[in-house]
Order: sequence, then C-alpha cells, then structure tokens
Amino acid sequence: MASHAVARSGVRIKAIYGHLDALLTGIDRLKRGGFKGFQVMAPLPRHEIEEAVWEGRPSPVRWWVLAGALTGMTVGFLLPSLTAMQWPMANPGGKPVVSLPAYAIIMFECTILFGSLFNFTGMIVHCGLPAFFLDESIQDPRVTDASFGIVFTQANAADEAKIKQILQSSGAVEVTTGADTVYEVPNDV
Amino acid sequence: MLGGSVAAFGLFVWAVLMMFTYGLGTTGLMHPNMWGVMIITFVFWIGIGHAGTLISAILFLVRSRWRTGIYRASEAMTVFAVMTALLFPVIHLGRAWQVYWFFPYPNQRQLWVNFKSPLMWDVFAISTYFTVSAVFFYIGLIPDIAIFRDHATGLVKKVYGVLSLGWRGTSRQWHHYMGSYGFFAAFCAPLVLSVHSVVSWDFAMAPTAGWHSTIFPPYFVAGAIFSGCAMVITLLLPMTYIFKWEPYVNLWHFENLAKMCLLTSGILTYAYFMEYFIAWYSQNPYEQAIFIWRANGDYAPQFWGMVFCNCVAPLLWYYRPARTNIYSLMVVSILINIGMWLERFNIVVSSLAHNFDPATWSYYWPTNIEWCILVGSFGWFMMWFLVFCKTFPAVAITEIKEMIPPPLKGKLE
Repeated sequence: MASHAVARSGVRIKAIYGHLDALLTGIDRLKRGGFKGFQVMAPLPRHEIEEAVWEGRPSPVRWWVLAGALTGMTVGFLLPSLTAMQWPMANPGGKPVVSLPAYAIIMFECTILFGSLFNFTGMIVHCGLPAFFLDESIQDPRVTDASFGIVFTQANAADEAKIKQILQSSGAVEVTTGADTVYEVPNDV
Repeated sequence: MLGGSVAAFGLFVWAVLMMFTYGLGTTGLMHPNMWGVMIITFVFWIGIGHAGTLISAILFLVRSRWRTGIYRASEAMTVFAVMTALLFPVIHLGRAWQVYWFFPYPNQRQLWVNFKSPLMWDVFAISTYFTVSAVFFYIGLIPDIAIFRDHATGLVKKVYGVLSLGWRGTSRQWHHYMGSYGFFAAFCAPLVLSVHSVVSWDFAMAPTAGWHSTIFPPYFVAGAIFSGCAMVITLLLPMTYIFKWEPYVNLWHFENLAKMCLLTSGILTYAYFMEYFIAWYSQNPYEQAIFIWRANGDYAPQFWGMVFCNCVAPLLWYYRPARTNIYSLMVVSILINIGMWLERFNIVVSSLAHNFDPATWSYYWPTNIEWCILVGSFGWFMMWFLVFCKTFPAVAITEIKEMIPPPLKGKLE
C-alpha cells in the first residue's frame, strides 16, 4: 500500500555504493547476517539485484492485470448485449440482437483497456506510490544518477555497529547514520 | 519553431471557427463526397501514431536493442499524433458540441449507441489506444522524471517531484515496475495491430466499391507502420543533430527504421497490386470501374503520386549508402508521409465521388478552409512535441543506462 508518513524512532543507516558487485556482496552479507528491513536503491533495474532481493518471487501486479482483463472482457460483452436487448424490436433484417462477431471487437478493446488500467493501479499500489512525504534523507540524488544504495530506516540501535561493519567491508563508498526521527517506509526484504 | 507551430495551430482554430460559424458549406463536402480532408487527415494521424507503440512495445518484447535511443520520442509522437487525430472526428461532425453522442451513457431518451457499427468500434479502439498509449508513455517516464527532480531546484523540483510520484528507485519499486511494464508491452502489442484494423473497417464494412475488401486491415496496419516509421525519421533526424544526441541516436537507428519502411513498403505495394488483381479476378464491374478510374480519372495525379512516394521512392533504401545518408533519409521519409496522405485521399475521395449511381457522381476538392485545417493540425502536433522535448527527457535516460555495462569493482576482499 502507499506509504504514509508514520513517525518511528530508530537508527537510520545509509550506504552508497559505486559498484554493482560491491552492492550485491553487501546484500548477500546482510542476508547471511540475518538482517532484514533494508531497502536497496538503484538508478536502473538490474536482474542481479532483483534476484538477490526477490529471489525469483514474481510481482503480484500480474493478478491485477488478470482481474482487469477479465473485468474488461465481461464489461465489453455485457454493455453492448444488455443495451441491445433493451430494444429487441429494432432488429432489421433478422440479424441477431446479440451479435458476438461485432461485440468481440468491443470485448477486445475493453479487455486491453481495463487490463492496462488495473495494471497501472496495481503498479502504483505495490510500488507504494505516490510517496510525496517520505523522509528526504532517504532520497539521495546519487541513486537516481549512477550509484546504488542500501538504507535501513529503523535498524535496532544494538545492530548498528555490525550493520555498518558489513556495509563498509562490502565496499560501500559512504556509510552515514542518524538517530533522528525517520519515517516508516515499506521494506524490501 | 515553437512560435511557428503555435501560429499554424492558430490557423487551425480560425478555420474551424469559420466552419462552425458558416457551416460545412465552407468545405468542399458535397453529396456523395461527405468524407473529405478531415477524415483523410484523421486516418493519416492515426497511422502516424502507430510507430511509437510498435517501437516501445513490440520491439521491447523481442528485446530489440535499437529501440532504446528512439522509443521515448516515438512514444511522444504517438501520443501527440493520436491527440491530433482525435480532433478530426469531432470537428468533422459539424456540430462538435454533440460529440458526447459518441459515448454510451444512460441518457434521457433511453437510447444507446449501436455497437454493431464500425464507427462505434472505432470510438472504442481509438479511445482505448490513446488511453493505454498515454499511460504506457507516462509509466516509462516516471524514473526519468525522478532524475530531473533530483537535479532541479525550487518550484521546478516540486513539479517534477509530483510528476515522478515520489519515485525512489528502490528494488521493491523496480520489481513491481518491471512486472507492470512487461504486461503493458504485452497488451500494447496486439493493440497496435488492432487499431488500424478497426479504422480500416470504417471503410471495409461498407459495400462501397473500392472499400469493401478483406485486404484492408493488414493493408492499413502495414501503411500505418510505414508512415509512422517515416515520421520518426523525419522528426528525429534533425533533432539528433540539433540537440547533439549522436551518442544515443545515430545512423544505426535510422537505418533500422528505413528497413522497417522497406518491409512495409513492400507489403503496401503488394496490397495495391492485389486490389487491382481482385477487381479483375472478381469480374465485379463496379470494382473494376473504380480501380480503372483511380488510375486514369480526375484523381490520377494523386494515385500516381501515391505509387511513386510509397512504392518507388523507398526502393532507394535498398541501396545501403542511401539508407545511411541523412539527406536521402530525410527526403524519402518526407515523400513517404506525403504518399501516405495521398493514399488516404485516394481511398476516401475516389470511391465516394464515383459511387454506384453515375447520376450522383461528383468531384471533390478541398477548400482553403480545409487546407488550413490540415496545415494547422501539424501546428498542433508540433506544438506538443516541441514542448515535450523542452521539458521532459526525450531520450530514455534509464534505458540508455541499461545498455551500458554496470560499474564493477572486480575482486572484493
């Protein structure tokens, strides 16, 4: 669901990586260390990150698409059929009132239209968008440019040293921490 | 350039207002030619709008690498071309304020639209195509707008921030985004092929000689891709050199577009030939009469112009140095666009002018009001396209990054 700004106390840890392999090492070591609740940020989609974080789990957006497509197909059949059946006498030439060949086109168009709009909605919902009120400290211009990042928004204070050590040893070019109030965002892992 | 486009659109507004004020008599439309420049130009712009989604969706599904540099500008072209096309059925009504009669809604007369009419299929096909193309275009833009946001300041940053929906580029977002993008491409691919098929049924479902043909859907789709790819060349070739896009868009892209044009030009040439063959082979006198008249009658210059521009001129591109030469690319792509407008002129005008009853035969020629509407439509299109290129990334930044090998550190300790 869309992320709402919920104030939480916790330690924020942010690491910036200049290299993809270093980032993947960092993700791997964090997972092996049993750490969860971090986000990986990247300027582009990479299969390696996808595999490391999601481990082959598909996006549920596909169910939205299926629901939309089936809804569209149903609407595309029912709308012309029910409206035509209101006027059964207006039937020149003995042609059928409900004509599947003609309505197949409306059904096709509605399938595509509803499927796509549901797809967009599903993408927005699962991506946690729109997210206008997230903590600015999470946002870093470098991760939409050419760098990668790992962010803990609310790590346990007791884990701070260990997490920092993993991030630094895996090749992060910068690791910053802050105990200030941060905002809850959905976790990747 | 933008000023010129706005001025041309002003001409459009003036011509349309004249038409609304004084009626359809200001146009050359006269029974039986009740379809003229406005329908021709509508089909022309819908055709132009095919290349963008073809490039962005179908070439995405087949993982074609040459789409990356050009797909964003092509998608923008598609959206704005369909926006331009959508103007025409509205103004062609003459009573544009009753455009809402197109749509199925519960009204006080309890009447519904006729879903068995090809014109109603067209309303659904084009409104779906516009909506889906626009959303697909926007989804592709979101990560790139986030890059703009992160490099902007003040009010501009806020505007890009809202448009990017607060995109952060987290792996969670990329995961669902890419899942969604693939489905969008999969849904857009059949849509591209269906839209011009449905447009062709506006004609082919009528028993009019010269229109009533099963070859129309593939023939229209090939023509649409042909004109769309030519328009991408016409638009992007100057922009590549003006905006110095050479590292991202170069002759490799244009050569591939030229090859697409060559393929579709061959399909079109075959379709033109088959129309004549079937007219002869069917022994239908009405079909034969209309096809003989198209090549020899009042509209013979437009017919032979079409044949030259669509069938002969692109042949130059079989010669590799010609399809990698910017002047030849520019000249032939413009000729193709002219040829494709003439093709629609031939289809729409000649079949109506010489209908079944010789007593009703007429000669249609556009008036100055209609020429102004045609020229003005280019102004409207260019105005949107130039504003887009000025304010949004016209080359897909994120996808260009995907083409580059990722930064690797090598062996870690």
